[in-house]
Amino acid sequence: MTELHFTDVQRDCLQELVNVAMGQASDKLARYLGTFVHLQVPSIALVEAALLSQHFSSRYQQQSATLVSLGFFGDQGLRGETIMLYQLANAGVIAQLLGYSDDAVSEAEMLTDISSVLTTTFLSGLAEQLENSFSYAAPRILSSRDQYFADKLAYTAEQWQLALQVDIRYQLTDYSFNCDMILLIPGEAVLRLRQTLDNILADF
Amino acid sequence: MALTALICDDSLLARNQLKKSLPSGFDANILTAGNGVEALTILRTREVGLVFLDLTMPELDGVGVLEAIKAEAMDCLVIVVSADIQPEMQKRVMELGALAFVQKPASADKLADVMHKYGLI
Repeated sequence: MTELHFTDVQRDCLQELVNVAMGQASDKLARYLGTFVHLQVPSIALVEAALLSQHFSSRYQQQSATLVSLGFFGDQGLRGETIMLYQLANAGVIAQLLGYSDDAVSEAEMLTDISSVLTTTFLSGLAEQLENSFSYAAPRILSSRDQYFADKLAYTAEQWQLALQVDIRYQLTDYSFNCDMILLIPGEAVLRLRQTLDNILADF
Repeated sequence: MALTALICDDSLLARNQLKKSLPSGFDANILTAGNGVEALTILRTREVGLVFLDLTMPELDGVGVLEAIKAEAMDCLVIVVSADIQPEMQKRVMELGALAFVQKPASADKLADVMHKYGLI
């Protein structure tokens, strides 16, 4: 069994790497949306993948959500999948801003585009700091306006062991836009990640 | 008397990275703060000549610190070291009186360039 525990120092290190990668992703998003993004300290949590859907079904209670998934593959066994979860309250406003037409198909297309901008920028930033490089699968929508998204999340998550849960709250200048990003990685990638963090920490 | 410099960042890694990336010719006593509130407490009680300031922090963020420094007319130079690289944010901190903006993670070369430019080394 893989021991998923991270020490406080490893956690702080990972939090800072996430912070830097988030800054790059937010800059890209701000340019893409033509607006300013208020950055907050991303809160990260490492949880067992099996417990994920439980957490999110209570958090998104009585709301439909869209899930967009992106697989990534790096060197030395560092690989995984990111999932972006969007609450749809503001999707219409953003669609208008970006010039997508106001229907479900365009909304899906828009969220796929935004996810692609956010996750590839975020992951590239993270990979660079880990002295790795990732390649990506095409983003795919796991569910849209689906009451049963928790089941789909559970199904996806059960293929992985560790979930790095990153809460992202993007407050745009004129409206709020919340999404959650989840990084799912397998056990051997956890070991690799921890070792890389230790190498970084040994330098300082 | 050597200069006193303050490194303000909520991340231990970032504080250590920055401390290690400072140019060898920079002779200063280094203090650290983990958020904006701690930074202001230090700035109000100690004579600090130079601040390396992160922006995205809990309690009080870097913009809040810059605003307080300006409002209280504190006599210190501020180099912002941040991951929030949006052009509008860079413009905002410069307007609030920051000396320079350095993108995270701060490289030793970039820090040396900036500090040399402003006569700090």
